[in-house]
Amino acid sequence: MSAVREVSHDAKRARVAAELARVLPAKSVLVEREALKPYECDGLSAYRETPLLAAIPADESEVAAVLAVARATGTPVVARGSGTGLSGGALPLSDGILLSLARFNRVVAVDPLARIARVQPGVTNLKISQHVAHLGLYYAPDPSSQIACSIGGNVAENSGGVHCLKYGLTVHNIVKVRVITVEGDIVDLGSEALDSPGYDLLATITGSEGLLAVILEVTVKLLPKPEVAQVVMASFGDVESAGEAVARVIGAGIVPAGLEMMDKLATRAVEGFVHAGYDLEAEAILLAESDGSREEVAHEIAQVIEIMRSSGATDIRCSSSDAERLRFWSGRKAAFPAVGRISPDYYCIDGSIPRGALAKVLKRTEELSARYGLRCANVFHAGDGNLHPLILYDANIPGELETTERFAADILELCIEVGGTITGEHGVGIEKINQMCSQFRPAELAQFRAVKAAFDPEGLLNPGKMVPTLHRCAEYGAMRVKGGALPHPDLPRF
Amino acid sequence: MRSQALAALRAIRPPMTVISDDEGLKPFETDAFIAHRETPMLAVLPDDEAQVRQVVKACHALGVPVVSRGAGTGISGGAIPHRDGVLLVLSKMRRIDEVNALARTATVEPGVRNLQVSEAVAHLGLFYAPDPSSQSICSIGGNVAENSGGVHCLKYGLTTHNLLAVRAIDADGDVIDAGSLALDAPGYDLLALLTGSEGNLGVITRVTVRLLPLPERTETLLAAFPSVRQAAEAVGEIIGAGIIPAALEMMDRIVIEACERFMAMGFPTGAEALLLAEVDGGKEEAGEALEAVSAILARCGASEVRVAADSVERERLWKSRKGAFTALATILPDYYTIDGTIPRRCLPEVLAEITRLSAEYGMTVGNVFHAGDGNIHPCIFYDAGKPGELERSEEFGGRILELCVAVGGTITGEHGVGIEKLRQMCVQFRAPELAAFHDVKRAFDPDSILNPGKAVPTLKRCAEWGGTHMRAGRMPHADIPRF
Repeated sequence: MSAVREVSHDAKRARVAAELARVLPAKSVLVEREALKPYECDGLSAYRETPLLAAIPADESEVAAVLAVARATGTPVVARGSGTGLSGGALPLSDGILLSLARFNRVVAVDPLARIARVQPGVTNLKISQHVAHLGLYYAPDPSSQIACSIGGNVAENSGGVHCLKYGLTVHNIVKVRVITVEGDIVDLGSEALDSPGYDLLATITGSEGLLAVILEVTVKLLPKPEVAQVVMASFGDVESAGEAVARVIGAGIVPAGLEMMDKLATRAVEGFVHAGYDLEAEAILLAESDGSREEVAHEIAQVIEIMRSSGATDIRCSSSDAERLRFWSGRKAAFPAVGRISPDYYCIDGSIPRGALAKVLKRTEELSARYGLRCANVFHAGDGNLHPLILYDANIPGELETTERFAADILELCIEVGGTITGEHGVGIEKINQMCSQFRPAELAQFRAVKAAFDPEGLLNPGKMVPTLHRCAEYGAMRVKGGALPHPDLPRF
Repeated sequence: MRSQALAALRAIRPPMTVISDDEGLKPFETDAFIAHRETPMLAVLPDDEAQVRQVVKACHALGVPVVSRGAGTGISGGAIPHRDGVLLVLSKMRRIDEVNALARTATVEPGVRNLQVSEAVAHLGLFYAPDPSSQSICSIGGNVAENSGGVHCLKYGLTTHNLLAVRAIDADGDVIDAGSLALDAPGYDLLALLTGSEGNLGVITRVTVRLLPLPERTETLLAAFPSVRQAAEAVGEIIGAGIIPAALEMMDRIVIEACERFMAMGFPTGAEALLLAEVDGGKEEAGEALEAVSAILARCGASEVRVAADSVERERLWKSRKGAFTALATILPDYYTIDGTIPRRCLPEVLAEITRLSAEYGMTVGNVFHAGDGNIHPCIFYDAGKPGELERSEEFGGRILELCVAVGGTITGEHGVGIEKLRQMCVQFRAPELAAFHDVKRAFDPDSILNPGKAVPTLKRCAEWGGTHMRAGRMPHADIPRF
């Protein structure tokens, strides 16, 4: 049986490769196993798959040609930018074409007066800001991977970053996208003006994880670089007071550029790594950044310090130079590699909750940590309620990965229970497809599938990601019957 | 069909108001796009979401169109009834379900008035930012359906930027919860898709809006300019300097004079354009912005800059802007307000071209608009009593919208497409784009019972209109079958 599959698989590869060879230059099609190796996973490296083959088109007409071959041969297509995604959105399919947009790496045009830049999808996030720095402008969304991640991938995943509390997610910072549908139609969505009539397909495409169309060009908004930035670092004797301080900062109408929290396990791991000068006795540390004009920042920092003090901060420090500000941040930015030093493996969760539930969720996470016997460090975007619990485990201990995954699933379900969601900025991909069954009711999932079918009736674009089938939800539901109540009881089961 | 539908609606329990007599249906025959009228087959005024679901299910089963209506203040005809359809009036669903001061959210029913939200949370020091001029009467459900803007959306965004979650009933009567109370929601962005969908994708039954803290300090400036071009350049300079005023409005001489006649504002005489700018925020922030804006206005050639000394004077200045459309009625009996958007940098060029078209058509145009975000509202004056003038004003309006598209703008800023601008949708979009819209419509409403015939033209209609809109010898949508 498996030999038969192998033969037919190879035959299919040969057939699709032959079709592609007619429309693309030879160097743009990869078929050898070694050449395909680098594409076998994205940032969710626990999942790997070798694609049928990879195509690296150089222009729009070549992308159209690849899609035409995909349609003609009924071959699925997975689009990929830089492959830094954390939920497996760019995980290849063994019977699918991996479509790399790496050659689309040009900044096409910059309009400083309108403060927009038109870029190709393969341009890295940071390159946009570097390209317009001489104009005193920058592109605001800053995923931690910004040095490597591509803008096309940012749009596909609706990426966030440390500063999205003030400046918004990707969807809030783009004005237009040019996409090609699986049928080969090139469609321009959004506009350079205030609003665009018709349904908001720009927002629909943003965060659609490669399921609706392939992104060919993105027009991003640019912002003037703030005059100054300053950061306050506050220590707390318990996590609840830190959570309370976050709620009060936001409640006071302050929108910090960043508002991040780290718990004791995280700060201790980090301090040994970067020596940022963190308070090692604190149960939680808050970092609050303010940016803007001098007066604005001075005013905001004074307000933040006052709130930290009245919320019971045991120690408050304020950066007095840009070097010190960067040192305070260095620990936060290095948190993930630092945690990697104290544990052989870790699993980073991405969930979001209404800010008011912060203290409750942190407490429940602590209880779950005790129950599963696995340590959990918390480093996250507290200001917008985007949690990133890091579960520490050892993959070499039999069963620990599975325990970790159960722990992680419990945390995500907890997010839903308090009115939050199973993703903040990493997307669903393959990683959280089961939790989509908990997040949404069958009517909503059916609506997602209807939207998918509207763009891609044959399901050729990134099939099997983001939106679970009802069948899959039924199976997941059977696995996770809670409190005697079967989720989605109205679904047919097998 | 009418009697079947009536029976089905009357069978809904608990019973709700069902209107079937001509006299009762009369008030619903139009929204604020009063040039067009239609009497609905029936109208219903449900009290709650459960009844809305039953209405939609009943209509779906019978294949009867459903047109939703909030307060009926929309000006593109989105709520104009369907002759063979049920008008679903949501004005009785006007409860504020929950206000969460800590999370700064309010969850309201669709019939709640826009201003009512701000009034209900004022004691908490909060407000709901989008402020269409009709805010004292327009409903939140309608705001969501049209993605409404307002004077302050330059800084605070359109409706879509101020929503966290929406509950809608789809064409099958299923409940769809879109968005979330947290930062982001997984899956496709159905919240953004429903917002501005003009009643085509679902019936909105609940809205969770974002609330903002009332700004600590607000400053309002009025600047007079000897030319429209200088005023338009000042707008570009202010935005280019990285300042985002809470509002930045412009009026030209026609409008200034009308306001002066009507309200005796004491505006500087001889000005060709006025800019009304508002900055708000923390004490320092607003003070700093006030200085920066004043300096730019002076540098760009303002002949006079006034700063409102107190809130009474501020109210007075805003009265001139918000009352402008009423004042315009003193010029000629009728006027047609256009709503288009353009990239800000094209402001001087577009205004010049409108002046040229005004001469070509021999019709006066007044300009009063949201200059900061490039949302123009030219008002074409005409006398409907004179044969052919209405048609000519519509043709002129169409030319202005096409000009917006030509410079990279769009045919609507905040009023929606409805039936008013269906034709210009064919100019705005190419066939594949319109096809994508239709695909989305089908994904939500395969039998097309929700507000059919609005917002998105059929390719067939575009093809028919294409004949009259041939540009530069090129037939639009050449690939569409014609008759």
